[in-house]
Formats: sequence, structure tokens, C-alpha cells
Amino acid sequence: MHELFSFFIRWSKWFVFVFFVALSCALLFSGNPYQHHVYLTSANSVASGIYNMRNSVASYFDLREINEDLNLRNAALESEVLALREQIREADARIQSDTMHLPGVLAQYNFVVAHVISNSIARAHNYITINKGSDDGIAPEMGVIDRNGVVGIVNVTGPHSARIISLLNPHFKLSCKIKGSEHFGSLVWDGNDPTVALLEELPRHTVFAPGDTIVTSGYSAVFPEGIPVGYVMEDQRRHDENFFTLRVRLSTDFTTLSNVQVVVDSLRAEHIALQAYDTDKQ
Amino acid sequence: MPVISFILKALVIILAQVVIFNNIVLLNVAVPFVFIYIIMAMPVTWSTNVSVAAGFLIGLAIDICSDTPGVNALACTVLAFARKPIFHLYVQRDEDLTGLPPSVRTLGVPVFMKYALTMTLAYCMMVFTIDAFAIFSFWRMLSQIVCSTAFTFVIIYALDAIFSSKRK
Repeated sequence: MHELFSFFIRWSKWFVFVFFVALSCALLFSGNPYQHHVYLTSANSVASGIYNMRNSVASYFDLREINEDLNLRNAALESEVLALREQIREADARIQSDTMHLPGVLAQYNFVVAHVISNSIARAHNYITINKGSDDGIAPEMGVIDRNGVVGIVNVTGPHSARIISLLNPHFKLSCKIKGSEHFGSLVWDGNDPTVALLEELPRHTVFAPGDTIVTSGYSAVFPEGIPVGYVMEDQRRHDENFFTLRVRLSTDFTTLSNVQVVVDSLRAEHIALQAYDTDKQ
Repeated sequence: MPVISFILKALVIILAQVVIFNNIVLLNVAVPFVFIYIIMAMPVTWSTNVSVAAGFLIGLAIDICSDTPGVNALACTVLAFARKPIFHLYVQRDEDLTGLPPSVRTLGVPVFMKYALTMTLAYCMMVFTIDAFAIFSFWRMLSQIVCSTAFTFVIIYALDAIFSSKRK
């Protein structure tokens, strides 16, 4: 018995070392980020509190660029409003004889505005933390966009904060299409440059030119159709058997991310119920 | 008392890492891992059990705040375990320095520089090798290791000047 104890004491540093290495490896290889407990992510109350304090100072730094962007966006929306008003006037004339109802594409979506309180771009798997959580109606697997385009998808939520899987994360694949065509592919980040991602699995016969806009396809029900994602870069096709892979310059600037909008789909419950119905049948 | 001041110092450095240094990336490759200074500055007389446990907790705190589950915890655990052998590469066992926290003041400039550089290089190699399991690109990994080691080393050297002069 005595020898057993002295054996353990003599080799204790190896036991302690192996124990902590095993614990770290368990964390490291736990795989799916959806299974992480909220306490082990930056959405926990201590970490999000620290990030909130930091953000209350740092959010002033980018205001000039944000203001410029907003002005541009405002101008674009202004002209769109004028164009739409014109269309409504024309439609009104026709609608006299026809009691047609025109639902907007975005009518089923609401947007929750949130501030980014932590963000990374240099790691292999990047995540973003925002200051809104389940108390504000945010749930996992909701899409997140900002004024320029797609940002990511909600992953873990705390009551007042949520973690987002950034577009700059190989765990996140986004169904996209080239604006004006119906061919769609899957957008994924290759881990090198935070301004560039790859659009994969695009059918070979797709017609495109450098500078074409890439938008969300709307097939996943996470993002509405037509949210901008990026632009086709110089014509660099990599030939696969039947598919193209394009390099896409992302329209969202992940280095200065500050205000984002979470897409809340009012028909989400219905979609989920439908999908569950389908799987039950099979 | 030294334990309490050590914990306070550790908290300050972790907070600085999370709030400031995590946001700094030079040339898209150089990342400062300033918090490994806490592991470097543990007195060498501490038993390996204590320093490995402390290393794990430091890594875990950083992991939680920066959403890198396990990466820093694993690297910090290994670094804390390897700390004593690395220290004795440059300092003989019979020299009477071992009770003090390693710093420029206790070791002198050349020895501390060698010690800090070895520790930083070891850490950067571990972290970016773990990262490479997700996305492997050899030249990117190599430039990340070299640039981050240099950047981290410079900041840690400056940090050491701040922390060890305060206690004079």
C-alpha cells in the first residue's frame, strides 16, 4: 500500500499532465460547434460582459466609415423608394379592375439589430459574438447580415448574447447563386484571406463574368433570397469534372464589422414542422 | 502574498489579451500570444503539478473568451509542463536563481531572451500546428509561426520590463 502511494507521488506530475492534456483534447475534438455548452463559448455572461465593456469604447472608432456606408446605402434606398413609388402608381392604375394582393418577398422576415462585441478573422474557425440573445427572440440557425451582405449564422445563444459562426469558418456553407441566373453553388471559406471565399459546385454550363454579383439562393430558409454575398473575382475557373469553383470577393468587410441584423423568419416554425413531417413519413 | 500578486497579474494579462491583443493581427499572420508571459513568469520552484494546472486554467480562460475550444488549453498545458526543462537549458540547476520568477532582472538580458524566445517559439509551433488540423497550408503555417513568435516575443519583452520594474 505504501509503495503504491509513493509510486503515485513520484509519478504525479505525469498523471496531472496527462489528465489536463486529455481534458484539453476532449474540448479540442468535441467537433460540432452546435454541441458546445454556452458556458464554454464567448456567449457566457462573464466573457460577453467584458466584450460589452470593451465595445462600448471601441464602437466609436469606426463611426466615420460606417456613416459613409450608411449615407451611400441611404442614397441607394432613396432612389429605390422613388422607383418603387413609380411602380406602385402604375400598379394602382391597373389594380382598379383587379383586386390582386402583392406580398413582398421580405414580408415573412423581421430583422433584429445587434452590435458585434467580439469578432475574429485570423483563425481557422472564426466566430462572432453579438449583444442580443434569446430574450430578444434570437435562436440558433438564424441568419445574420449587415448593411453590405451576409455575415454568418447564429450558433449558440445566451439570454443577452449569442455566438455566430462567421462566414469565415469552414463549418459554414452557404447556398448561393449568381444574380440573374438560377444556377446555384455552395460558398465556403478556404482559410486564407478574410476578403475572399470560394463558390463551389457551380454547374459547368453556368454563364458569368468577373464582377457579377453573388447573392443568397433562398433555398435554405435561413437567409431570404437575394442578399448580396460578394462579387466574382477575375476569371479563375478551376475545372472539376462537372463543376466550377469560383473565387468570390466578399461584400461584407469582416475587419470592421460593428452593426449586424439577425434575420428572424416568421414562418420558421412552419418550415421546421414541414421538414419534421417529411422525415416522419420516411 | 506572492501567490495573490501572481493571480492579480495573471488576471490583468488575460484581460489585456482578450480585450486588446486578440484584436491585433499584423499582415494577417502575426498574432500576439501575450498571456504566455504568465506561464513564463511562474517561479521555477513551483511544482510541475501546480504549474500544469495553472497553465490549463489560463489556456481555458483564453479559449472561452476567444472561441477556440481546447486549442490554447492544450498548448498552455504542454508549455507549463515543458517550462522547467526549457528553463534548465539555460540556467544550471545549482545556480541560486530558481526561487524568483524568471525575468530580465533575475536572469539578466541574454538568458531571459533565450528563455523567452524558446518558450514563445514552442507555443506558436503548438498553436499553429493544432490550427493546421483544420486547414492545412504549409507556407501559411510557417509564416504564422515565425511572425507570431517575433511579434509575441517583442511584446513579452516590453511587458517584462513593466512588471519586473514595478516590484523594485
